[in-house]
Amino acid sequence: MPRVFITGLGFVTSIGNDAASVTRSLRELRHGFEVYPPFQKPEIPCKVIGTIKDFGTDSPDPEDWTFPERYKIKRELLRTMAPNGLFAHCAMLQAIADAQLADADVSNADTGLYAASAGSPYLLHHHHDRLTKVGVMRCSPLGIVASIAGTLNFNLIAAFKIQGTSCGFSSACASSAHALGYAHDDLVLGRQKRMFVVGAEDGNVDAILPFAGMRTLSLQADPNLASRPFDAARDGFVGTGGSTVLVLETEDEVARRGVKPYAEVLGWGQASDGWNVAISHPEGSGSAAAMNHALRAAKVEPAQVDYVNAHATSTLIGDVSEARALRAVFKEHLPRVAVSSTKALTGHGLSLAGAMESAFCALGLRDGFVPGCAHLANPDAECAGLNLPRATENRQADIVMKNSSGFGGANVALVYKRVA
Amino acid sequence: MPDAVSTSASAHKSAPLAPKPFAPEDEAQLREALKRCSPSTFEAAVQFRKTTNPEHVPAVVIGVIERFVEPDLRMKLKDADDDLRLIEDLGIDSLTMMEIVILVEDVLTMSINNDELRNLRTVGDVKTFIDCKIRGLPLPKPTKFIPIEHVAAVMPIQPPFLFLNEASVSSTSANGKYKISGQEFFLQGHFKDNPVMPASIMLEALGQLAVLYLLEGAPTEPGKVIGSGTIFFTGCEGVRAHRICKPGDILTLSIKPKRMKMPLATFEGSIRVGQEKAVIAEEITLTFGFVEAVDAPVPINGAAHAPGSNGTSPSAATPPLRVAMNA
Repeated sequence: MPRVFITGLGFVTSIGNDAASVTRSLRELRHGFEVYPPFQKPEIPCKVIGTIKDFGTDSPDPEDWTFPERYKIKRELLRTMAPNGLFAHCAMLQAIADAQLADADVSNADTGLYAASAGSPYLLHHHHDRLTKVGVMRCSPLGIVASIAGTLNFNLIAAFKIQGTSCGFSSACASSAHALGYAHDDLVLGRQKRMFVVGAEDGNVDAILPFAGMRTLSLQADPNLASRPFDAARDGFVGTGGSTVLVLETEDEVARRGVKPYAEVLGWGQASDGWNVAISHPEGSGSAAAMNHALRAAKVEPAQVDYVNAHATSTLIGDVSEARALRAVFKEHLPRVAVSSTKALTGHGLSLAGAMESAFCALGLRDGFVPGCAHLANPDAECAGLNLPRATENRQADIVMKNSSGFGGANVALVYKRVA
Repeated sequence: MPDAVSTSASAHKSAPLAPKPFAPEDEAQLREALKRCSPSTFEAAVQFRKTTNPEHVPAVVIGVIERFVEPDLRMKLKDADDDLRLIEDLGIDSLTMMEIVILVEDVLTMSINNDELRNLRTVGDVKTFIDCKIRGLPLPKPTKFIPIEHVAAVMPIQPPFLFLNEASVSSTSANGKYKISGQEFFLQGHFKDNPVMPASIMLEALGQLAVLYLLEGAPTEPGKVIGSGTIFFTGCEGVRAHRICKPGDILTLSIKPKRMKMPLATFEGSIRVGQEKAVIAEEITLTFGFVEAVDAPVPINGAAHAPGSNGTSPSAATPPLRVAMNA
């Protein structure tokens, strides 16, 4: 079976819009939160989000959007994008350059793309509103492809002339982790030689605010306190958007192109809670099973894992479930496994989370650091026994695990290895 | 784009516009709708909305098309040649066409049906189309693409003297192609051991394209068609041959009507091989006559059911062959 490597990354995130600034934020534990102007109304209880800097996507008309000048995007492409499509397009361009891919490497039958986003509730709402106000025949002919779930893959496949495997993943906050897992499988099974895996979310009012109705958002107005995974005082997650793109390639392609990968994808596993539509299993049963499956698939013992980038979103129930799952999987080895949730810095990227945080793991494996637990003052007693480093550690991990969980109790774990 | 659109006559609403008072809030709305168009486009739209004078329409239409064309292609629109093709020359796909139409509808307060759009291939087609809609005139015949077997079926001229392999005909021009096969009988003698397409035959080919235009594209009188047996050559002016054409060359022919008044139709014509000029004819004049329409001409996609059409073609059904040709 061919081995699979991560050879390129692209970022448009709340903690940086390129690999260098993301790395600095992870090393120095700088968060990407700001008080979000549209939330500053008495009737909106949450105040903070992880903002995407240097991008302006407030208008429903893409031609009004602003983005860094280095990205040249034709109107023909822009007109069908949701905000998350714009973020992803820019992250794709970065990842392609980072992996040193020529046009012919991107567009061929052996190169595919998996994407994960929740679509664009913002544009869906906008276009539906026009439909009711001005009538269906005066609606934008491109409203559908710009807004429905799948808009991300539609746009990227067309813009980058992808000819291989492609589809979108929809398992909420586990979506892009699922995409990574299945992309890995396609490469291992010899179906493809290279896969782009893309996570992206709008991260605006319409994407984030509905979670307030579920009472899952932090109501903290202080950007320094709002996202505190595993902390006793945590009160919910902070939303964010943006995009991350990973390039996965088989070892043959890596050798042929002579590139140095970030990390190896050893394997992955998934399992479902079979429990509740929105609440994670109290013992983290699905999460634990996913981690065990991943370790077995990766042929790795719990004792070999150096770091777990946790799913922990800073919600009351979820963080405890995952802590229990980690305890069940790592048992006596728990103290040697560093655990942190980088959502303390970025906020929760929903569909984007698994890809974004896997890319963080890849940066850490290449550059020799293990991200610490930002904003953690008093660990929740329920999380006792977890090794939660308060600062980023400058040490080389060999094997790291990335957890993601989504609605319906879908759990994914991915295992990455340093490239010597 | 959904193709399963009803082509029934009842779906067509192209009544002339009743002048409506143009309120200040309409102007603000218009300014917002045209915010990415040139100031002159906005001005033309304001004038049209105030006066309903169709003379302002071309400026609005060109301004809206320009706004949707990629900046590096906009230069082409500056000296807007009506033959400029929307897809090939301006990179406008069917979705962009929809965007153009929706904005034009919005700005000129009119409605356009999907099936009317499919036939618009050039800037000229769009201008003529909108103009006819505004004036409440019957819509022009769309550009028709005529394959080789159909060329022979409608032409009074037949092989081995037919020099058109394929052609497209609109109400304003006709274009055709002919590949010199080397098997043409006259090449045996023209010249000895040196086959060269005679200039007179190339002029003949342009004349044949003009005949096809008269039969398939030219405007007619109600209940009449141009009889294929009534068309004859009368004269030509300013003919120049620029290039020797030999077997293997593909002649690209085009003609445009300059004047048309019963019983004479005068065209300008040119032949190119690739980018090279081969033959120019400043004027080719044919004579023609009308005959009673036996099989009433059925408008393509029922487009002639606008007011002004006097009901000579009561059937809204479009013959399948024609539909296929325009698909």
